[in-house]
Amino acid sequence: MSGPTGARTAPRLTEHGEREQEPVAQPAFHRWVFADGTLWALFFRQGPDYLVRFPQLADFEVASDGVNVNVWPVAGVSPATLQHLYLNQVLPLALSRQGKLVLHASAVDLGAHCVAFVGPSGRGKSTLATSFATTGARFLTDDGLQLEWCGNRLMVLPSHPSVRLWEDSQTALIAPGAAVAPPVDYTPKTRFLADGALAFCDEARVLHSLFFLGSRDVSTVHIERMKGASALLELVRSSFLLDIDEREMLALHFDEISLIANLPIHYHLDYPRRFDELPLVRQAILAHVKEGMD
Amino acid sequence: MQLPERMTIPAEVMARQVGEEVVILDLASGNYFGLDPVGARIWRLLTEGKLPTEIRDILLEEYDVSHEQLEQDIGRLINELSAKGLLKLD
Repeated sequence: MSGPTGARTAPRLTEHGEREQEPVAQPAFHRWVFADGTLWALFFRQGPDYLVRFPQLADFEVASDGVNVNVWPVAGVSPATLQHLYLNQVLPLALSRQGKLVLHASAVDLGAHCVAFVGPSGRGKSTLATSFATTGARFLTDDGLQLEWCGNRLMVLPSHPSVRLWEDSQTALIAPGAAVAPPVDYTPKTRFLADGALAFCDEARVLHSLFFLGSRDVSTVHIERMKGASALLELVRSSFLLDIDEREMLALHFDEISLIANLPIHYHLDYPRRFDELPLVRQAILAHVKEGMD
Repeated sequence: MQLPERMTIPAEVMARQVGEEVVILDLASGNYFGLDPVGARIWRLLTEGKLPTEIRDILLEEYDVSHEQLEQDIGRLINELSAKGLLKLD
């Protein structure tokens, strides 16, 4: 276990010139496919290293130790698109090669502690984090949540100071004129940069609760404690892992999430999916955290 | 149901206790499998090298259950774990 202030090797990204995506001799060992069947990414082994291909966008080569990442964009792909792909997809995978635990989760600092919202894309992670960060709390990340032990405390590390939102969440939560990153080629989501109205926490915080976001359409907020085994299986599903076939890394990851699953911090959260109910959702979460601290 | 004489846990299978439950990971397939508290107790006894019949006798002392029912439950779990490659019949 290492401390969040200890030495860490941030992956180094080296950008190269435009390059065609040549066929790869070996078959992909893994692929990401959207719910509508669209191919999103292909994963190939290249000796000890990895090639992560986003078709028509870019090829990322990730060193097996996760320290160096090289990228070759396809012709016409913007630098903003490359940065977006790197921060949201490739960086968490590279960190997983360093043995870091990275989850599909957002996190907000509520003062002494922070809470995280775990779930697949579309479940409300960024919307909840933004809802808190525009009403007095501060966000640490909107996805790619990195966890690290500091002694016996589980810490959340801050990541990029921006949140990505769909248009409906932007309209409901972001004031006009907010700072945005340049648009990207593959998603209509807008990346909003942290500022006075969208507060960012740039220090590691102790994790108080992990809320796994449910998909039920409910009329009131439901928070329910999860059993450790269920939490462990959800943590597995929510982890960024570049190579799920590599046994040593898989065993290390299993040990790490087993430790976390044994902590009494896991809850299932269902909430009404309506923007006008968000104040009540925040209230319920704050009350839950306060109850746990009393 | 006839219990097998002896079982072993393959080297590529690892398990961790989480609360009263156990989660098993098969490193060969990358698949995970959860055991409820009773299943977890059986798993722990297997890891201690107990034979299926010894496990049955220990659990008969611990739970209010008939010999037949318990044997059936242990046999079913062993079959399920074997089918997933998480146990090997010797």
